[in-house]
Amino acid sequence: MSSDFETYEQDFGTITADVTNKIGRIPKLSGEEKTQLVLNVDKQLEEVRELLEQMDLEVREIPVQSRAMYNSRLKSYKQEMDKLEKDFKRSRIAYSDEVRNELLGEDAGSSENQLIKLREERAHLLDNTERLERSSRRLEAGYQIAVETEQVGQEILSNLHSDREKIQRARERLRETDANLGKSSRILTGMLRRIIQNRVLVFILGAIILLVIILAIYFNVRGH
Amino acid sequence: MDNSGKEKEAIQLMADADKKVKSSGSFLGGMFGGGPHKVEEACEMYCRAANMFKMAKNWNGAGGAFCKAARLHMQLQNKHDCAVSFIDAGNAYKKSDPNEAIKCLNAAIDIYTDMGRFTIAAKHHISIAEIYESEMVDIEKAIAHYEQAADYYKGEESNSSANKCLLKVGAYCAQLEQYQKAIEIYEQVGTNVMDNPLLKYSAKEYFFKASLCHFIVDELNAKIAIEKYEEMFPAFSDSRECKLLKKLLEAHEEQNSEAFTEAVKEFDSISRLDQWHTTLLLRIKKTIQGDEGDLK
Repeated sequence: MSSDFETYEQDFGTITADVTNKIGRIPKLSGEEKTQLVLNVDKQLEEVRELLEQMDLEVREIPVQSRAMYNSRLKSYKQEMDKLEKDFKRSRIAYSDEVRNELLGEDAGSSENQLIKLREERAHLLDNTERLERSSRRLEAGYQIAVETEQVGQEILSNLHSDREKIQRARERLRETDANLGKSSRILTGMLRRIIQNRVLVFILGAIILLVIILAIYFNVRGH
Repeated sequence: MDNSGKEKEAIQLMADADKKVKSSGSFLGGMFGGGPHKVEEACEMYCRAANMFKMAKNWNGAGGAFCKAARLHMQLQNKHDCAVSFIDAGNAYKKSDPNEAIKCLNAAIDIYTDMGRFTIAAKHHISIAEIYESEMVDIEKAIAHYEQAADYYKGEESNSSANKCLLKVGAYCAQLEQYQKAIEIYEQVGTNVMDNPLLKYSAKEYFFKASLCHFIVDELNAKIAIEKYEEMFPAFSDSRECKLLKKLLEAHEEQNSEAFTEAVKEFDSISRLDQWHTTLLLRIKKTIQGDEGDLK
């Protein structure tokens, strides 16, 4: 008895797998193929229902003690079948992504994706513009500083020039002063020499006069 | 406390020195040969008194004392010392009485020119001109003194000092609307510095100023002038000033004061325009607007 049940279970498993597969394929197809597939799935669902009825009868013939387990299994199989039927009904009227893609062109994706992409691009461009503005502002500041530097340089150069002239003039004057000092020192040495000469002359004359006076007195005394 | 004490000392010294001078005038003093000696002593006392007045910040007193000392030096035929004392007197009076200061400085300048020391005379002409500039605000006289100083410097071959004075003369002339003179000065200075490797970077500044003055007088003159400068000095055409001038000429031709203001603003954003330039540019702008409105 139970082995029959197991065989029924195995059959149930294979058929349901097959049905699920076919249900998945139905929306992508259309026309001839679709109707054929739909008929196939219909037949398989019929088979599955008969299997379930037989499993039911089997379970009733099992003694009461072990019926609980088989009962629960049977319930789950029934639920699975119901679900399969619902899926089947839905698949026959479902729209698939494939159809949409065909309509809207190849890379379209969804409009959501497009918006996101656009926003990203916009942020990117704004970023770039800001960067450009910042660099141009920095360049201008640099230019201003260069111009200021040039002006400062001009002033410094003109100061240097006037200082140069002052130094040259001072040097000239120093040379003149040096020459003048040399001349004056020569004149002074000349004066000194003359002074010494004069003094020597005065002493000699004084000595001669003294001699003459002494001689005069001596001859006077000798004469008496 | 210290300063007022110094002042009393100074007044005392002055009185003593006065007595000495009077006494040396009498016949006896001269006889004994102590005359000149006494006058010299009196001179020195005056100087000391003046220094003490300076310490006490009594500028008038200091100036007076230095003046007396200078006159005594004159008597003694010490021209150098006399001039130096006059200069000291002038400096002291600068802080209190500009007129007296100018008198003293003028006297000193006369002595220096007599002796043939033109450089120093020129320096003091500049001091006088500065006093006129700042304290007494008599621009005409200031211009006269600056010119005199520039002439003396030229005579002594100090061209950069001469240029400095000439520039000031030019600036004030333009302010007083003596544009022809200003133009001559700026052109002269510009041509002088063009060749000098140290100063040629300032040449474009001078040409710019000359062109502005030309502009106020007559627009056609300005055009001719700018071409002339470009020929003489090729670097001028690359400068931002030249570009500004060309834009201004265009704006003036089209009588478009907005373009004028635009160009000026652009130049100002990079390097600020100083007071003199702004005044001249404003005058030029007024001529544009005056032409536009047919009322005046």
